[in-house]
Amino acid sequence: MALPLPPGLTPAEVSFLAEMELVTVIPRQRLDSIELLSGKTPPLRPPHRADLPLWLALLLKKQRRANILPPPWLHPDSLREIIHQETTVDPQAFSEPPPARHPRADPARPGRTLPIHQDDDGFILSPPFRPGSCTADAPVGFLPYHWLEVAEMLLAHAADDIGAPAGEVRGLLRDLVEVRAAKLRNSTSVLEGFGGGLMSLRGVGAMELAESRGFVLSVVDGVRKIGASTEAARREAEEEEEGADASDEDMGL
Amino acid sequence: MASLIASRPRARPAHTHGTTRCAYTPDGTRLVTVGSNNTIRLYKTGFDGEPDNIDDCQEQNLAVAAANTFFVAGAEDGTVSYYSLDTLVFDRFLLRCSLPVRDVALSPDGKWCAVASDELTVRLVNVEDTSRLKTLREHKAPAKHLSFDPSGHVLALSCTDGIIYIYSMTADPPELIRKVDGVIGRVDSDSEVSTRVAWHPDGRAFAVPTPTRDIQVVSKHDGEKQRAFAHGHEGHITALAWSPNGALLATAGKDKKILIWLAKDQSVIARYDYANVIDIAWHPTQNLASFTTSDGEVYICPEFVPEMFENMLRLPKQPAPFIHDPREEITNGRRADAGAHNIPSRPRRPLDDDLDDLLDDGFGGPGGDEDMDDDGFVVDDDGAGYTLNAARKRAAEDDLGAYPNKRSAYFQPQVHPPFQPGSTPWRGNRKYLCLNLVGVVWTVDQDTHNTVTVEFYDHAFHRDFHFTDTFGYDKACLNDKGTLFAAPPKDDRPAVIFYRPHETWVQRTDWRIELPKGESVLALSLSDSFVTVTTSANYVRIYTLFGIPYRVYRPKSTPIVTCASWKDYVLTMGNGPVGPDGQCRLLYSIQDIKHDEMCQNEDTVALPEGASVQSVFFSDQGDPCIYDSTGTLLTLLHWRQPSRAVWIPLLDTKLLPRLASGRKHETYFPIAVADNKFHCIILKGGEKYPYFPRPLLSEFDFSIPLTSAPRGGKKKDKRRPDNPDDEDEFMLSGPSADEEEEEDSTSPESESLRLSQSYLLLSLSYSQLADQLSHNKIPSVSDRARLARLQLDIDKTLLQMLALECRISNGDERSMRALEIVKLMRDRTGKMLEAAGKVAERYGKRVLGEKIKELAEKGGDSDRDEDEEDY
Repeated sequence: MALPLPPGLTPAEVSFLAEMELVTVIPRQRLDSIELLSGKTPPLRPPHRADLPLWLALLLKKQRRANILPPPWLHPDSLREIIHQETTVDPQAFSEPPPARHPRADPARPGRTLPIHQDDDGFILSPPFRPGSCTADAPVGFLPYHWLEVAEMLLAHAADDIGAPAGEVRGLLRDLVEVRAAKLRNSTSVLEGFGGGLMSLRGVGAMELAESRGFVLSVVDGVRKIGASTEAARREAEEEEEGADASDEDMGL
Repeated sequence: MASLIASRPRARPAHTHGTTRCAYTPDGTRLVTVGSNNTIRLYKTGFDGEPDNIDDCQEQNLAVAAANTFFVAGAEDGTVSYYSLDTLVFDRFLLRCSLPVRDVALSPDGKWCAVASDELTVRLVNVEDTSRLKTLREHKAPAKHLSFDPSGHVLALSCTDGIIYIYSMTADPPELIRKVDGVIGRVDSDSEVSTRVAWHPDGRAFAVPTPTRDIQVVSKHDGEKQRAFAHGHEGHITALAWSPNGALLATAGKDKKILIWLAKDQSVIARYDYANVIDIAWHPTQNLASFTTSDGEVYICPEFVPEMFENMLRLPKQPAPFIHDPREEITNGRRADAGAHNIPSRPRRPLDDDLDDLLDDGFGGPGGDEDMDDDGFVVDDDGAGYTLNAARKRAAEDDLGAYPNKRSAYFQPQVHPPFQPGSTPWRGNRKYLCLNLVGVVWTVDQDTHNTVTVEFYDHAFHRDFHFTDTFGYDKACLNDKGTLFAAPPKDDRPAVIFYRPHETWVQRTDWRIELPKGESVLALSLSDSFVTVTTSANYVRIYTLFGIPYRVYRPKSTPIVTCASWKDYVLTMGNGPVGPDGQCRLLYSIQDIKHDEMCQNEDTVALPEGASVQSVFFSDQGDPCIYDSTGTLLTLLHWRQPSRAVWIPLLDTKLLPRLASGRKHETYFPIAVADNKFHCIILKGGEKYPYFPRPLLSEFDFSIPLTSAPRGGKKKDKRRPDNPDDEDEFMLSGPSADEEEEEDSTSPESESLRLSQSYLLLSLSYSQLADQLSHNKIPSVSDRARLARLQLDIDKTLLQMLALECRISNGDERSMRALEIVKLMRDRTGKMLEAAGKVAERYGKRVLGEKIKELAEKGGDSDRDEDEEDY
């Protein structure tokens, strides 16, 4: 028996994964390095900044042991810029993901480079996780893969650290979500026709994918079913033609 | 107070009922009054007969401003007219507005006339050439009053929306440089209630009426509230004017009173009963003032100031009533004790320079300093400012200090003023005493006492505390163990040093020490084991942490500038011999107090010409660092051995990529060097010191200045939010990563730059660590391991550089350079050379590979020779 779960990750799972993202905190209390499955956390010494996984940062924030520095792309100006990009500059595509980090030379293997998503300690971050895409030195004006989840979580639990009025950021995020959701839904309308149904998902975030996965899949499936009979008819016709050709050739020989 | 004038002046029925204004010409010969009938009256000073009249004028004149040869009047029909004082006729219209003119102001040089009308913009028209116009449009509501500061660099605009806008006139077009909110009220433009900005004649502050019927003094350079003239009037203020030397302030209110205040202590010295006064003008030199009422009457009051206080008018220009006069702060302690004011060859320039700094704080327009250079050739003896224009501006500065001696102008050594690292000057009633990575100490002046607050970044480690301070501590140091304060001598009480440890295991361990009388503290520092105090008597006093005097000595280079300490090391800095630029060379000494060793003796602080030191501190690794006024962070290398010290630049903030676009203007307030990062506070908008609320700390990686920052970002620009300032407050982080990244991924040059940067930095920290270890008699195992690891890191970086060289060269053209890189490697075991050979092989550089192999073979001997010269 197949599991009754839908394919792919559920939104809850996605947001759980997003808590792996590193964010920058300003600690208010000393804390030694903790050994975690994903590696050691940096020791916290106020007022030195440190990059911590989001879940840990939120935990410390709730205990008032740290303040979270919001990533620069969450600034209203940056969000406005992205919305402008999505609505007027290029209304078809999604805004670009953050630029790839430059591959670094691998000291262990001269002449080769480290895999892009491997950090210095050698453990590989799963591909959507770009190191530092949510920390304080992330690039401005690019949405990382987990933008929606991280932004929601920061707004929910660390709204006082955002710097800008939380309402404004929330409003801009809502605009952005709607713009992009509309684009994703529209993708199903170009399914018809030969060569259709192709859409670049570059720059689409994890949560958006998880949300529209069910819808898109069922639409595609439905379209396939509707088209199944005509497709079958076309196949048959082709086969017949082929058969006819073959017999012709046979005849010729 | 006596509220009588010997003979009450008679009301002169000059105009009909309505707004009536008056102004004296700067030379004081005439009083011009305008009113609602179509006559302008000109009263000759000292002549009690009928005034001269000008009948050819507009009706309902609402504003007037006078220069020596002409005056301008603004009327309700929106015209601004120019009248000549020589011929006493209407000359021409300067400007027409569509709405009533509310105020006109002439710049001190008489060239520009600013016009406020009920329109949203304020226009400045050139008096000689009316086609030249400047427009001020940053304010969002009609302006009510305008006033130029005494230098003419700045125009203050009281707006009907309750905000004072301060525009810089040196920039073209004029720029808004400050908004002062929360001082004046929202007042209609035709209301009799005044919100006029009255500049104090020394130009560093202005007074404005508040809605609470007080007069608030606000400083120009930071927009902070200073002293207030409070509880005098029982009605709204309708007029105010400073006496020409700034010693007195006259105000009129709706309570039908005119008050004269003493600027020094804000007390009322005279009270007169006059109703409906709406404009007051002081005569520039005599004890004479005139005022006009809304009934159209003009009063000319000789003996305006009571006889008792008449001498106040003859004083030279008085300082504005600051809570903490920034000027006093600088002169205090420098040489005040030496009676320097009487010495003819008193070095004059430092005072003047500091003053200029203060005055120009935040007003760094292009022509900001132009008039500071021309030496006023007219000496304004009585400080009355009647010698016009340039000389008048000059007077603003000269009168306050001792008179400059022109003969001593040939040789004026500039002495570096003393400073306390990590502290800021008073601004309003607040001041940071100490800012570092442990926490923050600040104080608030509450008039009778101060409130000192100590806040820690690490809340769990220490608890924040604050206390009421009756001594008036103005310097402090903070570290993990305790807090050290110093108070200046006051009245009869000598200077006090106060140490408060954070944690104790006995009842009470804080101690207080009094310095000898007349000696004040210039700078103090606190380390884990010693308290260092440098004093104005040119002593360095060292105490242990519990107040036992450990050593007192006089440093060789004086006057002392500052001191810093770390563990047993104490660094003192003082003014040495005069350099070719007329500035004293700064000399520093570093001593190991406990072992009584001299590390560096009177060595020079490497500064470019004209630059000064902004901060001195030890890094967390214990290396001395300085941050200079050119924005460069330098550290001292090899300082533990005498005369081997070298200053190494760690970071030139001017080359930071965030400034490369040229659109951002910001400076950095140094806090500390820790973790191989420079911690600072980013200051924007011409600010020089951080203020409240406490800004976030920012970190910058070191970057030894090799080339200027990449001028990338052409593509980025369009993606950047339009408002770089806002964005920064938010991300405050440091270099914006994207620009660098873009650059990195495209060009191998920047990659090679990055590698050589890290090579330099690694070698630097290697030699620092090696230095430290060689000084410790028995280095610990972990230190040795760190050293070995650093060495490995250096070689790894070189290997990467080699790989890059091989990758980007097509033939052998870069092999010489590559071989040189290989020769720089420090590894003695030959493993690195082996790896280098492999790299060369992999890229098919056979010749290079062979050379490296050769090097490796003879390596044993040659390496040993080189061995010694490393570190």
